[in-house]
Amino acid sequence: MTSTRVVEPWLRQPLERFVTEAGARLTLIMTPAGQVLAQHGFTRAVDVMAAAALGSAIVSSTREIAALIGEVGFRALNHQGVHHGIFLAEMDSPRGRLLALVVYGSDSLVGLVRLFFEDLVRDLGEACPPEKPRKPVIAADFERELNQSLASLFGR
Amino acid sequence: MSLVNFTTREITCKIVYYGPGRSGKTCNLQYIYGCVPEDRRGRMVSLATQTDRTLFFDFLPLELGSISGFTTRFQLYTVPGQVYYNATRKLVLQGADGVVFVADSQARQLDENVESLQNLQANLLEKGVDVRTVPLVLQYNKQDLPADLILTPAELDDALNFRGVPSFPANALGGEGVFETLKGVSELVLRRLSEEAPP
Repeated sequence: MTSTRVVEPWLRQPLERFVTEAGARLTLIMTPAGQVLAQHGFTRAVDVMAAAALGSAIVSSTREIAALIGEVGFRALNHQGVHHGIFLAEMDSPRGRLLALVVYGSDSLVGLVRLFFEDLVRDLGEACPPEKPRKPVIAADFERELNQSLASLFGR
Repeated sequence: MSLVNFTTREITCKIVYYGPGRSGKTCNLQYIYGCVPEDRRGRMVSLATQTDRTLFFDFLPLELGSISGFTTRFQLYTVPGQVYYNATRKLVLQGADGVVFVADSQARQLDENVESLQNLQANLLEKGVDVRTVPLVLQYNKQDLPADLILTPAELDDALNFRGVPSFPANALGGEGVFETLKGVSELVLRRLSEEAPP
């Protein structure tokens, strides 16, 4: 079953369109630090947080290798397996640099993913609203709840 | 910056355990992994060498519970402590919402601790981040070793804690101080979310 989770609503439509058009199984949009901003597809088959952490590490280290050999950067990389392939790419957005991790199966092709990825970058750029200044998210007296949560986490 | 999902009311924060090689960063995560209920943690991912030294990072997602109506998740990372892995340390450090500096309390490791702390400062600065603005706590690990081999928390505070940040004595192998350290950094990270963003 496919599912969608987005941190901000503007990410939803471009992402869902991309996954449908590219025939991807799963796509994650994440920050360079590996935090997932949006996900769509068959997420139950993948440990999403681990995949995002590993994907961002691959992109970051590839970027550094590019710098070592005098390249500006490699915008995308692809690994093709027997049943699945992964496509990892960087993109510039009004919110700064973002990363995409696309998992596709035998019912798609890397060419198709690449083709529609260009559209995804454009669509996200158009959909992105200006960033609002951050307001306090949690109450100032959060310590009691934090202490309770941690105590239950550690069985104390 | 911490990720806040207002629709699903979720907060995700990245905490990085930093410090010299063999100071006990991975040990902290392994202890947490071992004592936290399975439904409150994800899979621990370790990219290590064949001799179990951290090559890239360890990663452990944790679900703290509900804070101010937000389901709060922490993603714990460690960096490789060995000097020659600085490039990967920088990559793991990017986007950190809080840092735990794990110092080795052994007296003979003091120079390594100082060097690693300076390295943390330099790597943050390279990303345009002033270490004074990052939520940071210190953990003085291996306090269970014989007294003649280690420095006391007060001595380590004198040598390392020039910012006067919260510091915690610990024995990560046995679990002492691990909880207190995580609690300390959690408070600092979440405190930021209860404040207005600077203009």
